[in-house]
Amino acid sequence: MKKIKFLLIAMMAMMTTAVFTACSDDDDDNVSNMERYQKEVEKTVRKEKKNDKAILLVAFGSTWQQAYDAFDLTRSEYAAQFPGYDVYLSFSSAICINRAMAGENTGKRNFYEPKYWLEAFGRVQYKEIVVQSMQVIPGEEFSRVVNAMKDFGNNSNGDLDDKYMSEVTLKLGMPLMYTEEDAGKLATQLDMNLKTYAQQGAMLFMGHGNPDEYDTYKANVRYTQLEEKLQAINPNYFVGTVDMMDNFKVQVHDRMVEKGLTTGKVFCFPLMSIAGDHAHNDMAGDDDAWDEEKGAFEVNEDGEVEDTSWKMYFSHLGYTIDAKAYTDGEGGLVKGLLEYKNIRNLYINHTKNAEVVDFYHSMYPEE
Amino acid sequence: MGLALMCLAHTALAQDALLSDSLEEVVVTATGTQHLLKNAPVQTEVISGRMLRQYGGGSLEDILGGLSASFAFNEGDMGSQMQMNGLGNSYILILVDGKRLHGDVGGQNDLGLIDPQNIERIEVVKGASSALYGSDAIAGVINIITKRHDESLLLENSTRYGSYNDIRQHNGIGLAWGRWKSYTNFQLQHSDGWQNTATEHTPSSAAPVTDSRSKTVNEHTNWQLSEQLTFTPMKNLELYASGSVYGKGIYRPKGKYPKYDVKTFDLTYRNASAAVGGQWKTAAGDLVTLDIDWNRHAYYHSFTSTTLAEGFDADGQFILDFPYFKGQRLLQSDQRRTMAHLKGVFALPYGQRLSAGIEARYDYLKAPTSVENGKADDNTEALYVQDEWVALGWLQLTGGLRLNRNEGFGWRLTPKLSTMVSVGDVRLRGTWSQGFKTPALKEMNYRYIREMNSIIMYLGNKDLKAQTSNYFSLGSEYTHAGLNVTVTGYYNKVDNMIALATIDRNEAPLAYRQQYGEMLNKVRRYKNMEDARTYGVDVSVRYTRQEWTAGLGYSYLDTDAHVYDADHDRLEKVVIDGMAHHKGNVFATWEHRFSPHYQLGIGLYGRMSSKRYYQIDGNGKAFHTWRLSTTHNLGSRGKTSYRVEAGVDNIFNYVDRTPHGLHLGTTTPGTTVYATLTIRFSQGKNVKFNKMSNSKIHQNDEED
Repeated sequence: MKKIKFLLIAMMAMMTTAVFTACSDDDDDNVSNMERYQKEVEKTVRKEKKNDKAILLVAFGSTWQQAYDAFDLTRSEYAAQFPGYDVYLSFSSAICINRAMAGENTGKRNFYEPKYWLEAFGRVQYKEIVVQSMQVIPGEEFSRVVNAMKDFGNNSNGDLDDKYMSEVTLKLGMPLMYTEEDAGKLATQLDMNLKTYAQQGAMLFMGHGNPDEYDTYKANVRYTQLEEKLQAINPNYFVGTVDMMDNFKVQVHDRMVEKGLTTGKVFCFPLMSIAGDHAHNDMAGDDDAWDEEKGAFEVNEDGEVEDTSWKMYFSHLGYTIDAKAYTDGEGGLVKGLLEYKNIRNLYINHTKNAEVVDFYHSMYPEE
Repeated sequence: MGLALMCLAHTALAQDALLSDSLEEVVVTATGTQHLLKNAPVQTEVISGRMLRQYGGGSLEDILGGLSASFAFNEGDMGSQMQMNGLGNSYILILVDGKRLHGDVGGQNDLGLIDPQNIERIEVVKGASSALYGSDAIAGVINIITKRHDESLLLENSTRYGSYNDIRQHNGIGLAWGRWKSYTNFQLQHSDGWQNTATEHTPSSAAPVTDSRSKTVNEHTNWQLSEQLTFTPMKNLELYASGSVYGKGIYRPKGKYPKYDVKTFDLTYRNASAAVGGQWKTAAGDLVTLDIDWNRHAYYHSFTSTTLAEGFDADGQFILDFPYFKGQRLLQSDQRRTMAHLKGVFALPYGQRLSAGIEARYDYLKAPTSVENGKADDNTEALYVQDEWVALGWLQLTGGLRLNRNEGFGWRLTPKLSTMVSVGDVRLRGTWSQGFKTPALKEMNYRYIREMNSIIMYLGNKDLKAQTSNYFSLGSEYTHAGLNVTVTGYYNKVDNMIALATIDRNEAPLAYRQQYGEMLNKVRRYKNMEDARTYGVDVSVRYTRQEWTAGLGYSYLDTDAHVYDADHDRLEKVVIDGMAHHKGNVFATWEHRFSPHYQLGIGLYGRMSSKRYYQIDGNGKAFHTWRLSTTHNLGSRGKTSYRVEAGVDNIFNYVDRTPHGLHLGTTTPGTTVYATLTIRFSQGKNVKFNKMSNSKIHQNDEED
């Protein structure tokens, strides 16, 4: 018995020692993950490739079903409008890609990043690739689309055939309001869709906009231009943003007051390709920082009222809010631009007029 | 009810053995030295072994929440959030046999590290205790005293099964051989988790989601193997070595709504510890202890489907879209701590007892994708003294002072003074003490994204200052004829309190802003708040008569916190998240031995809380839940004894069905049942080579 006990105790001692040492189990995922992932994208492309020309629609991405429906509609319309082209959809947001691909989705949602799609297109050697930016303005997000194309054009992975790279046609379809002229066209179409609201009261558009420090392309000006064009049609139209300096809801309200719009109905529409978090929360949500005691909102140093949706903001300022208009259901205005056929046509026209871009630089310039 | 009990007390002449047992209990937490509970110079709340056994708690959350009015828990999908008298987890120091617990789940102490079946008793000392224990002891200290095993051979198994596949396994093997002793503990905890509602909190602009898969509490499994070896080479000297490994997994369901219930990774934790030390009792009766321990707590995302996340590209550039595949995992953080602590307790003339110690601590954080340069570290050294003086028969004074040096925050002196006056059956206690908390490495350096209903980015802040506190309390205790009543008022003022403040979304680093865009709902950064006060009154009443024990606890709390608003150059009042004004618990138990082979215990327990307040995402509803527990001691057959516990929790089936994404008052799934069978084989008592009665003897680390 004593011996057995001694042995047992010795065993315990060894176990204690083992505990000291059994502690390094970190995983080191190496770079081959990127190639493995690229292969998955390539496999998808090989399966879907029916033509030698491809259109890649690039959006930021979303996790809303309503947005997936809008993207699906857009894709199918592109397929109909562009026979001879394979149409793909790309998200630039990693988390949107992750969530869209996982879970029990009703449809397959492989919305890979542009860089992976383009590399895969190169590997299967599409002869013509048209990248269509689904952005509203040529701002920061658009610049990332362009960068992905440049990386592809430069064969930054270094594994694409140089001869192919020198021959492939690469085209870029511009955002919805690439030029001032585009803003005018958009104004006409928006008015067609929403004129009945603008006749009843103030009809506001909520765009995204770039914060000052990221507005390198000065693309924010398009919102101002859009407002000018819309007001030329009906002075009840206003265009504000979530992030553009001096064009938050507070300044929209200032401009409304200047025009004598101090009461009456206020309608809002998201000036975004799809209705996602900004539309549902920042525009039509229930966040409300109204200070009951002071009977006022508090304006931050940037001139914006935080933690308050457009709906709640204008409701407290004495305007009439039609609750039904602030939903995504029937009769509601929480809709993405892509949910309207005439706006989809504007994008399609941009794709038809896509410009050939020459981002190609041979890997062997001396040749 | 209190008054009724007081009246009863006057008629009760026989002081019940059970109550006197608990008052004669030896406690150690308040001063680090032994005192009878009734003579403890600082009010100490004890959850005794007897109460623990009768209650049949399945976890530490269950035990503290059910048997004390001062605690609030919110068992969420990422682990439990604990509060003690209004202050959160990071202000509560949790000790296991006198040593700091190491390891958190989402910033909350991982209480799964403690095997509920191996707890002998729990001591709770409220208020600041940093003079003795150093950083974190601001709201109070919880000391889990584990069981001591002296049997020559002990084999024990306890298996609990309950609703939602709630499984708790405890297995222990104890051996004593000559001067050696060993105890091996294995525990397993599992629950399938549950869903109180399938409704998500959706904006009013969108169609409701009523078939979400999100669970209120996610499925989780954790296991732990620990070993402790003790060697007594000579009389009055005891040495030990111990170690443990621990693992935990939190598994999240996947549904069809990418916005709400689609997750692409589960959470995995790995924890390990090792310790050596010993204690020596001098011929004069003085005591010297040395403890050296090392702990590690690592947290991973374990991917359940292809996921783009933080990583490094081929050029070593940090990117947010590095691909991971199902089955792979990404280390989020690995927190390692090494501590050495030398302490002596010496008897001095004129009724004085001096404790003195030195401590060194090294913290290391490895987080390749969440900390700049992938790592951070921190050093702390401390020196402390404490004098306990029985000045007069009725007057005890205790004073303590700690000199702390931290790499980032320099030198700090932290005092503590307490006094106890005994008049007949009444004890009056008063305390002024300071607390402090050096900012955690994570609070300073860590940046991460939490994907709940909305996506929130958290940013560390290297400019954080240490939090400090001043705690005042005044209490009285009355004990007579089976009745024990305590009333304690307190005021706790925390300066430079660290809290998360929401900052402009555009302050998120560019890469994150680009990747998360509009989905990035909020950006929050750790900041020092201007000040925060918590104040309140704790009342407890216990009455024991023959086979009956009944009691109640009530805790009133109010808070007053301010944060500096730099935009407007003014202080703004904020609530401390999770605060409830009123919390309480009541219980009544009855025990009866019918025969040598059957003893029955029945207990009824209630817990209640008023509304809990939060800064964002709604307040938690008020609630009260009730539990009925029974214990059945089936006596011994030879060297083997058997025991059964069975009960019903939340007997009135209260369920908070607030939609996912908003705060709940309680996450209880409604009525649940449980049953536990414990079998214990023990043979002989080991000859004690060491007669030291100081409970430091078994303050060895098994769980830490």
